[in-house]
Amino acid sequence: MKNKTRAVLENCPGVRIEAGEALFPYFRPIFQSGFLFRCQVGKSIEDLLFRQLSLKKLFVEEKISTVFLDGQCVDDISRTILNDDSVVAFSSALPGLVGATLRRGGFYACLRNSITYRKKDMSVDARQGTITIKLFNLLMEELGPVFLRKGIIMGCSAIVGFLQEQREAFWKEIHAAYLGDNIIAPRDLSAESTYGNGDYITIRIDDRDKFQ
Amino acid sequence: MDKILRVNMGAKGGPKFTVEPIGVYTGLGGRALTSAIVSKEVPPTCHPLSGTNKIVIAPGLLSGSIAAMSGRISVGCKSPLTGGIKESNSGGQPSQVLARLGYAAIVLEGKPEGDDLYTIYINKEGVKITVNNDLRMLGNYDTVSKMKEKFGDKIACISIGPAGEMRLPAASVAFTDMELRPARHAGRGGPGAVMGSKGVKVIVLDDTDMPMRQPKDPERFKEANKVFIEGLLKHGVTGQALPAYGTNVLANILNEAGAYPTYNFKQGTFAGVAKISGETEAALETERGGVPTHACHRGCVIRCSGIYNDKDGHYLSKQPEYETVWAHGADCGIDDMDKIAMLDFLDDNYGLDTIEMGTTIGVAMEAGFLKFGDADGAINLIHEVGKGTPLGRIIGSGAALTGKVFGVERVPVVKGQAMPAYDPRAVKGLGVTYATSPMGADHTAGYATTANILKVGGFVDPLKPQGQVELSRNLQIATAAIDSTGMCLFIAFAILDQPETFQALIDLLNAFCGLSFTGNDVTEYGKKVLTMERDFNIRAGFTKEQDRLPEFFKTQEIPPHNVVFDVSDEELDEVFNW
Ligand code: SF4
Repeated sequence: MKNKTRAVLENCPGVRIEAGEALFPYFRPIFQSGFLFRCQVGKSIEDLLFRQLSLKKLFVEEKISTVFLDGQCVDDISRTILNDDSVVAFSSALPGLVGATLRRGGFYACLRNSITYRKKDMSVDARQGTITIKLFNLLMEELGPVFLRKGIIMGCSAIVGFLQEQREAFWKEIHAAYLGDNIIAPRDLSAESTYGNGDYITIRIDDRDKFQ
Repeated sequence: MDKILRVNMGAKGGPKFTVEPIGVYTGLGGRALTSAIVSKEVPPTCHPLSGTNKIVIAPGLLSGSIAAMSGRISVGCKSPLTGGIKESNSGGQPSQVLARLGYAAIVLEGKPEGDDLYTIYINKEGVKITVNNDLRMLGNYDTVSKMKEKFGDKIACISIGPAGEMRLPAASVAFTDMELRPARHAGRGGPGAVMGSKGVKVIVLDDTDMPMRQPKDPERFKEANKVFIEGLLKHGVTGQALPAYGTNVLANILNEAGAYPTYNFKQGTFAGVAKISGETEAALETERGGVPTHACHRGCVIRCSGIYNDKDGHYLSKQPEYETVWAHGADCGIDDMDKIAMLDFLDDNYGLDTIEMGTTIGVAMEAGFLKFGDADGAINLIHEVGKGTPLGRIIGSGAALTGKVFGVERVPVVKGQAMPAYDPRAVKGLGVTYATSPMGADHTAGYATTANILKVGGFVDPLKPQGQVELSRNLQIATAAIDSTGMCLFIAFAILDQPETFQALIDLLNAFCGLSFTGNDVTEYGKKVLTMERDFNIRAGFTKEQDRLPEFFKTQEIPPHNVVFDVSDEELDEVFNW
């Protein structure tokens, strides 16, 4: 990633939305297409899941059965290191032989030898970085809210496009919206002008219940 | 299920039927039975559309009972597409109904002299065969509607569309679902053309007053069924992923793996995948009042199917499956889910295999006949097939022939049959099965992931390269065995992960049939089926040269991983070495 882009991502404006849980599923298209996420890189995928996202071991073992790093199947999440720009995809268990084949550490792993992730570089320094996350199937429901609560980064035009497609039911779920420290009308989130000349924006959702 | 209905369509004075005891075929069901009859009774070198070919329709060993998931049905014949033996498998209601009527199989043989079209009606009283030329060139949906008007709605139908009547090698046989929609198909290999050559448009089954088939040991059977269902429901794939998203849940991850063949197998990722993924499909179905979770037959507890409505909330098609969405979608560069659902409906209505049709259109697009992404052009092409125009007849003959007609090198077929939705250069182990299956490139041939539990051929070290060949062998054996029970192959994940669920499946079989099968016996059963099928193909003139992938898989790298298929021919020749 070019330094300029990195600086833009580090300093991009933030939107905070207070909303009910029912808002999360509307973000499914974004979860499956992928979003950017600031985290510690130079650390393993396991570190991201356990330490940085505080997920439970049982959940990771039982639910996150298929993991890709840069399009390659990961077998050992404890020894697979994230870098700036890494693309990580998470999926629950899937059907058929192909589902079993792509599964991490599975019995049929040899059937996909040529797309297995093998680089295990332990010598990268830990630092803040930005990675792309994709969430598929059941994990959209289960992990999507975890990322939205922490804040995801998206291109301004992509988020404007997404919000302009939303119907009444979506907006009804939003209790309040803030751009930086300023409260704004929720519908203004879908206006391009709201974001000035910015390229990226961080979106965070706080559960409304916390504020009632 | 101790009798076989044989209908001689070529008998003097018109079709004649006999009902005979199952005899030498006792103990066989589903694929084991269709392959045994074809292998024993059909001359391997016959023309697939001649009177000497036979089409065999057989429920599984457990079909017609209360065993969950046991309503799959097998259709066997010599394939007009591959020239080899074919077992094509479908869901829908007819398997349960035919089994409850007591038939282990229907065998259509001979060939009528004229060009009359026949309806075969079967109920508890017996069998009636009538000429019904009013059905000529009707789509499957209209055909079933007419049967409903005539016989009421307590029926199940097995029919062909215009493609079958025209004897096109991509023609399917349709099976009705619980709502009497002809939306389940034995599509692969052109069995519809063979049914068409027999002059049979529709077989109507009515099991009114027929009881469920009873197990030999009811208590043990009931208990095993309970454990089996619990196992399916508690597993993440069979209890959650498949019911929520259907089989198309695979699209996103195959794309992520770079193994989602796109633009006629030119690349392994499709930019529009999120628009046609199972996740998007299920959300659209829910939003439009369709159903994302639906069973193709009574007794299915996984319910991977669904109902896809159009924008106005009207039925458009059943939920298009993974292979269909891929074939008409990514392979043709189409990312419009509504157009894909329309193509699925048209295939079902004209009676065509969706995988063969999508792949064939992809080949035509490669030739420059249409632009990749031209959904309306693709829809028109399917209409051409349905109408039987000269162009339509070429397309309806499948990818191999279309590739020849249009002069295309990259034609993804094995033994003349179009390859399904996983690129064998990225996931090479699947390529071993595509190359060597007696069925031609077939996504279900090595589908049953039970091989490690069965320990077929001893323990396989998954990390050794030669594991690919051994695993492919074991998977094909396990699949052949499951296809014979009438069980849906989607049970595989739960029985792979949960030994008690696998044991429950064996217990179900044993309690029902009064057997004492072990895992080893199941393995032998699967081997027996494959051996019969291989033997038929050898007698039909197949050699090891047909157990190969097309050359381009070895020479053209597929992005993004830029890999080729490099399993050697010598290794491929080891698959059936037991
Ligand atoms: S899981 Fe799907 S294909 Fe299998 S029987 Fe059920 S609905 Fe039919």
